[in-house]
Amino acid sequence: MKQRIFSVLCENSPGVMMRVSRDFTRRQINMDSITVGIEPSGMARIILMFKADDHMAEHLYKVISRLTQVINVEVLEPETSIVREVALLKTKKLSDKKMWEVVQVVEKAGGRILESRNNALVAELSGNHEDIEKLVQTLGPDVLQEVARSGQVQISREMG
Amino acid sequence: MKSLKAEGVKHMFGLPGGQILPVYDALYDYPELNHILVRHEQGAAHAADGYARASGKAGVCLTTSGPGATNLATGILNAYMDSSPVVAMSGQVPLKFIGSDAFQEADMLSVMLPITKHNFIVRSVTEIPSTVKLAFKIATTGRQGPVHIDLPKDVQAGKADVKIPADVKYAKATKLEPERKRVVEAVGLLTKAQSPVIYAGGGVISSNASRELVALAEMLGAPVVTSLMGKGAIPENHPLALGMIGMHGRRVANLAITESDVLLGVGVRFDDRATGEVSHFAPSAKIIHIDIDQVEIGKNVRVDVSIVADAKRGLAAIIGGLRTHAKKGRTSEWLKRMEKLRKEYSPRMDYDEVPIKPQRAMKEIMSVLDEDAIVVTEVGQNQMWAAHFFVTKKPRHFISSGGLGTMGFGFPAAMGAKVACPKCDVVDIAGDGSFLMNSQELATVVENKINVVACIFDNRFLGMVKQWQDLFYKKRRSAVCLGTTPNFPKLAEAYGAWGDCASRPSEIAPKLKEALRCGKPAVLDIVIDPDEHVLPMVPAGGRLDQMFT
Repeated sequence: MKQRIFSVLCENSPGVMMRVSRDFTRRQINMDSITVGIEPSGMARIILMFKADDHMAEHLYKVISRLTQVINVEVLEPETSIVREVALLKTKKLSDKKMWEVVQVVEKAGGRILESRNNALVAELSGNHEDIEKLVQTLGPDVLQEVARSGQVQISREMG
Repeated sequence: MKSLKAEGVKHMFGLPGGQILPVYDALYDYPELNHILVRHEQGAAHAADGYARASGKAGVCLTTSGPGATNLATGILNAYMDSSPVVAMSGQVPLKFIGSDAFQEADMLSVMLPITKHNFIVRSVTEIPSTVKLAFKIATTGRQGPVHIDLPKDVQAGKADVKIPADVKYAKATKLEPERKRVVEAVGLLTKAQSPVIYAGGGVISSNASRELVALAEMLGAPVVTSLMGKGAIPENHPLALGMIGMHGRRVANLAITESDVLLGVGVRFDDRATGEVSHFAPSAKIIHIDIDQVEIGKNVRVDVSIVADAKRGLAAIIGGLRTHAKKGRTSEWLKRMEKLRKEYSPRMDYDEVPIKPQRAMKEIMSVLDEDAIVVTEVGQNQMWAAHFFVTKKPRHFISSGGLGTMGFGFPAAMGAKVACPKCDVVDIAGDGSFLMNSQELATVVENKINVVACIFDNRFLGMVKQWQDLFYKKRRSAVCLGTTPNFPKLAEAYGAWGDCASRPSEIAPKLKEALRCGKPAVLDIVIDPDEHVLPMVPAGGRLDQMFT
């Protein structure tokens, strides 16, 4: 099934997220990612990623648009939008040699080291979903103690 | 209270308790607001719903927190499924206790969220006027529906000098004008149609578009079929009216759908009980769909031309487009065929048997009631017999629980309808099973002199369940026999209502006349044949043209 991205502009009031998410739950659609940010206007923008067939995606677009607190729903195409995710990766206690290897791998992937103490470190990587997935896989469970991921945010490439 | 008065509220249905006491204390000073004290909160929700459907205005109900509020839930969902404008308010524990599992606390924001069009919790007394205003606006504009307001007790008790706003912003209240291009496409299809059919639903009634519906049907020479919710959208004695479609619809109506070449669905949601198997629904037709809610377009059936607008505007736009095209007589062959089918499948009602056949009972009831009488139904066989046989002549004069199929709806909804239309006779067509689900409201109607008549189609079974067990479960009648109690006339009398029993066909009309004239609420127990099924029938998921008898 196709990857879908909705960018939902809505009122920043309690319960909005619950109303949006239950429209998915009720129809047995699992959300891959959900993020919320506040716009300069004070409105909230919810970015949703999920997989669904065309009929279900259209239906979800309509039911979310119908919600009283929703101002509009924009359908973003993965090809025409910029997608970013941030991951924070904490390692286990490592040997000096392994530490050095990890720093190399992180920097090669475009990430940076935020903290390093007692032979463990915390690294940051921002990129698309696949970049982050690749780094997490490369380091693997023997190195990584904990991974915190932001979920994906998107913005359309259209300007002006 | 001032906010409610500002919305033009005259009647409300409710039952007080601890967490709504400040509101009820204020009500004490507003005798002009007629509060009807129900005996169960579910009754309040259905009564407000019945009031809304009969009057076209928002119905209001009021309860306490916790169980008082959760008891509303079934009635509120019922109103939601049938797009009925109800404003429900319930008390809540004080703000600082919310989330502490306080006495009679229920998380009503979460409970009501999926079963209302929208819901609120009010966090400050200053928010009350704008919230109430917005609640009424949301409930009554666009696709109508119930709105719930959760009122914490300390918020109710707060005092503030706040003006009632003249209006509040609600972006989704904008009335949609039918898209011109789509109207032209629809007109194009309709002018070429040889066998057009109009399928009208509850949206025609809620947008008061019956006149436009009849005008369009006559211009096109198109027969009109309805959904359960659309019953009464066209007078059912009109030559073009073929009756209800669906599982228990009229055979001629189902065949009209199947044989149509252009089907105009207006204010309908193509519910599964109406369409049967969708791949065989109107198989040769181009489908035009007018609905106020774009979510409904293409949800259940494929649509060739969609017009997002309320039924009234949508129909008016098509009429406007047709004026230049209309040619009389193009569909005369089609209408002749429909007339032939109508005669062929005209339902038989003149049975003389004892126990009484429900068809005959319906005939007798129809002979007594005038066209202004409002028929409300319970749910089950009684409902389908009423929907199938009763000839409704006016919109808002047939009220039934469509989407949710809530047993126990009819009697309290009849009470609400009678409060809305005190001059009309209001009759609840009931089953013995459904009636008992909210029969406690007999006390309410007697105390408040709301003179409704319940005609109980008494077969001592949960009849529709029994019918399915008989037809699809080898007659293994599991948990459907209701036994011999209660004695319904005596039950009515115990509450101070009029009660009597009809066990022969000839007794029904005179006793019903007496019930309507007796000056108090009444219960007429009609003993019907327990083996009678609702027929013809399309089995669940079956094809509309394959009904069995």
